[in-house]
Amino acid sequence: MTTRTSPNSIATEQTYWDDVRVGDLIEGYDLTLDWTKMVEQVSGSQDFYPVHHDPEFAAEAGHPAIFYNTGWTQAALCRVVTDWAGPAGWMSRFRFEMRRMNIPDDEVHARGKVTGKSDLDDAHGLVELEVWLENDRLGVTTPGWATVRLPRRK
Amino acid sequence: MVRVTGPYDLDAVRSEWIGRKTDVVPGRYPVEYDSIRRHCHMVEDTNPLFLDPEYGRQSEHGAVIAPPVMTRYFAGAGVWPPSSDNQVSLLLSVPTRGERNINLNTEWEYLQPARVGDHLASQTEVTDIYEKSIKLDPRSVWVVTETRITNQDGELVAVGTNTLCTHRTPEQVEAEEGERPL
Repeated sequence: MTTRTSPNSIATEQTYWDDVRVGDLIEGYDLTLDWTKMVEQVSGSQDFYPVHHDPEFAAEAGHPAIFYNTGWTQAALCRVVTDWAGPAGWMSRFRFEMRRMNIPDDEVHARGKVTGKSDLDDAHGLVELEVWLENDRLGVTTPGWATVRLPRRK
Repeated sequence: MVRVTGPYDLDAVRSEWIGRKTDVVPGRYPVEYDSIRRHCHMVEDTNPLFLDPEYGRQSEHGAVIAPPVMTRYFAGAGVWPPSSDNQVSLLLSVPTRGERNINLNTEWEYLQPARVGDHLASQTEVTDIYEKSIKLDPRSVWVVTETRITNQDGELVAVGTNTLCTHRTPEQVEAEEGERPL
């Protein structure tokens, strides 16, 4: 039985620089890494390296299981940012570190936090975010950092 | 990766490979709807900026845009049909101790959006190669690359840095180091 979280994107709601406070938490969303999600990972990323879909290949390389690939990981983190930033927001910088693995049957939670804000120009400001993926086995697996350009309220 | 089974001369590999770059290689296809849809499907993203042509037309971008992290995808050739002239072939040519790899750190600066219909191109350069001990391999080889992505007007769209860890299997480490890892 496939379990899905509700794909309720909030991406059409605009976030304004003026309203953001350092320390604000970004609620994010959850994903269940069942085998259908594994197939979607390969389809969406077009990453066919077997360590991401072939358990025997992964075991031979010394890994405990297949693990979700870079394309999926960055997509999951990017969604936290773009959902939050809204249609006039722009993610100008993004980095992440794949420190621990997300594997089949994990419940993954994608979250974020505002860590800083600064002026840019009369119409925009910049916001610094920490975003991360965590699962119920290991806690935070994939920390990320983003800079987002947001509109100011007129 | 090109696995070196005999003595591995890191200094020689660094000297020969750091600074090597690909040509400016055009992406095989323009930025297109269906690839974006499959990308969004992976993480249940319903953002209309990425999925709804009418919403995109009315947005400040004037068209559907790709999620920023897809920029690299559209600047590449994709995995099929096979292509030998891209970032992957450059990375696959770097001599390393092991042929297994794990992508570890990725950092991007996104200067402007990629719209559906844009034609992107990329150029990748090897910028660093070094050794580091990890649990799987006491002498894994790490390869750092920088990729610059431009659009059909020659404008810089994104610049990315990627760090790839290459390693041997436990059996290979045991055979070459005399001790099994982990």
